[in-house]
Amino acid sequence: MSDVLYFSEHTLQEIALVFMGLVYVLRIRWLLRFKASQERQPTGARDSRAPLKGILYSWANIAMPWSMESSRKHLWMYGQFVVFHLGVVASIGLSFIIPYAPSLLENGPLVLLLQVVIGVACFVGLLRVIRRVSSPHMRAISSPDDYFSLILLTVWFFFAFLAVPNDTSAGEWHLLAFFLLTAFFLVYVPFSKISHYLYYPFTRYYLGKSMGYRGVYPLHTGSKAKAV
Amino acid sequence: MRENSRSHKAQVVIDRMGKKLSRQMVGSLVGCVHCGLCTDSCHYVLANPEDPTFAPAYKADRIRRIFKHHYDWTGRFFPWWVKAGTVLTDAELEELKDIAFGKCTNCRRCSLNCPMGVDFATVNRMARGLLVSVGVMPEGVAHVSKDQWEIGNQMGVLKEDYLETLEWMSEELQDEVEDPAAVIPVDQHGCEVVYAINPREVKYDPRSIADAAKIFWAAGEDWTMASEGWDMTNFGLFSGDDDLGGAVARRLYEKVEELGGKRLVISECGHGFRSTRCEGPNWAKYDVGFRMESSIDTMLRYIAEGRIEVDKSRNSLPVTYHDSCNMARSCGVTEEPRELLRQVCADFREMHPNRAENFCCTGGGGAMSMSEYTAQRLTSAKVKAEQLRETGAAVVVTSCHNCVDGLTDLIRHYKLDMKVTQLVNLVAEALVIEERIPAVPAVEVAEVAVLTGRKIVVADDEPDQVIYLKSVLEDHGAEVHTAEDGDAALELSKRLKPDLLTLDLAMPGREVTEIFDILRGQSDLADLKICIITGRPEMRKLIYERMDAPPDGYLDKPVEEEELILAVRKILEIKVH
Repeated sequence: MSDVLYFSEHTLQEIALVFMGLVYVLRIRWLLRFKASQERQPTGARDSRAPLKGILYSWANIAMPWSMESSRKHLWMYGQFVVFHLGVVASIGLSFIIPYAPSLLENGPLVLLLQVVIGVACFVGLLRVIRRVSSPHMRAISSPDDYFSLILLTVWFFFAFLAVPNDTSAGEWHLLAFFLLTAFFLVYVPFSKISHYLYYPFTRYYLGKSMGYRGVYPLHTGSKAKAV
Repeated sequence: MRENSRSHKAQVVIDRMGKKLSRQMVGSLVGCVHCGLCTDSCHYVLANPEDPTFAPAYKADRIRRIFKHHYDWTGRFFPWWVKAGTVLTDAELEELKDIAFGKCTNCRRCSLNCPMGVDFATVNRMARGLLVSVGVMPEGVAHVSKDQWEIGNQMGVLKEDYLETLEWMSEELQDEVEDPAAVIPVDQHGCEVVYAINPREVKYDPRSIADAAKIFWAAGEDWTMASEGWDMTNFGLFSGDDDLGGAVARRLYEKVEELGGKRLVISECGHGFRSTRCEGPNWAKYDVGFRMESSIDTMLRYIAEGRIEVDKSRNSLPVTYHDSCNMARSCGVTEEPRELLRQVCADFREMHPNRAENFCCTGGGGAMSMSEYTAQRLTSAKVKAEQLRETGAAVVVTSCHNCVDGLTDLIRHYKLDMKVTQLVNLVAEALVIEERIPAVPAVEVAEVAVLTGRKIVVADDEPDQVIYLKSVLEDHGAEVHTAEDGDAALELSKRLKPDLLTLDLAMPGREVTEIFDILRGQSDLADLKICIITGRPEMRKLIYERMDAPPDGYLDKPVEEEELILAVRKILEIKVH
């Protein structure tokens, strides 16, 4: 392994991780500076005030494609979402496995599994790029950050796919590209839409709390009326 | 234009945005990933598939860009990268107004369909509030808000008119059930129930007050209405004005506490229920000490407790239910109305999608008071019209007065053979009180010549309509003259000095709104009562964007005989004894 690759796999990643963590701390501090609205709800016939249930339902919503019309009607898109994010998880995992537990990649089935997941995620990334570019509705809501983040992730998947076997017999360029891109991501992510996973717990928490208080979440699908 | 030349209003909007931002809103403003999954959850998009500017994410971005530019570091440092931007001119605020008020009914359907939990409706409401705070709003919103601030209810109903209507409805009820004790109590202290209503009921639908009174009477309820602070609607929800929202809610809560009421029952109104029950205590920062419930819960409770008996065969027409956005998506009221419908209707058919996934009636979010967006609203109503048509029902029931108006408009526009009603009307119809009601109600006998001695001019260009209105009114004893355009109506009104002029708005010749203004401006016609009978939703300009006195009554075509006579009697203050 060259010094450059070693530096990219270790020192560079660690610096980038610390930077990302620092920016995230600042970001969360910034978010918490805004006041959280209070909930005052009177008693009434509908005493189904269940903020906790609402919050849990809201957080779990993403894993229940049947619970939202938008995912139920677009199962193909939902499937893409699942694969794409599994690819992200696998690629992030890979960025730790290669430098800190490379022996895991001597397991053939694991390598195959990672390559399948990341390879399909890369394909989904391509589909998403095409959708974002070709649909007028998607173009209308897209910013340069949206295009850049998506293309960058797709390219990252591509190099992650190549990096999975952790094989340098044909050169180090693919591993180097993967780790340089990973480091870039760590620095770029807090400033881009990719940081949405940081906000997800907050947005879903507050929506779930509000809807739970009002008895909307968990959504009713035709069960018996609540006791009056 | 440089930022230092920003208009005063634009600067105020930016400054106030900072004060309005809560953690929830910021989450919704930073959390959107532009995945586009919300796009086809919006009825505006579905009805305008070629126009991406209706997409919820696109509309949210018009607000989000300002937030990013001024309050988020990515937008401050790299504005072009994240499409951040500011507002500089009043014209840009007007554009924002057309989005916040004209392209969204705050129905919250996209919010529930966002994988990230971005609540666009809340963000849009904030934008409305910011615009309203600098006076940038549809004219109708300004008028209605003003009435609610100054007169205490959003339709500007005067106290004497309200009390007269209650008295009149009391008399109707007494006649109907033949019980002199069947009255609508006002300002009674220490009652179990204080009943709050929508001013639309006083102005255009007094029958619903009488129906509710009949149910309370049948249940033997200890109830009252308040002489003031009786309006449970709250335009603050639509205008985004939390101050108005808080003041209106507080007015109602304080009245209930002053009367010592144990339970506030809110009549069927989606935004009224949401404002009073769910949002009001937060806007007013008021810890409410009494119970609150929708009249749906009350009626259901009466049936469950055996306090009223209902016979579903009395409502035999096929019925479907339209979930109001505010009731279903913001308050979780989805099963109770269905349970009630199953008890009072013989043929209930579900609409699809339904409950929290139902589509907006398209009249929500105050849209009915914004006549400048009527055409856009009715185009977007195509989705709802299809939903209604597919049910095959003859009656659509809804628990919201806004929805009643919105659905009535779209039913007329899309020529659906349906009528709109509310649960209170169906329950009243299904009430079993045989031993107290005579076989032939005396009121019907009395109504035959109830308009005797009254002179009425019917102005309409449709011969069938003229014949129908004329024959109904003459059957009830009125002397009827007809006019086929606005000028003829004007001439007849001046010459005959009638008690009442019924005015269609779509007639040849001069604009009827102009004729209306002339009539209102004539001192010798000061006593002339005018009732609009129209199929044109634009007439709401006369109600909401008036300079002079509004019409004395308003009816949607097609008009049923009972509805027409009831309206005429109310306008002419004719009581039956």
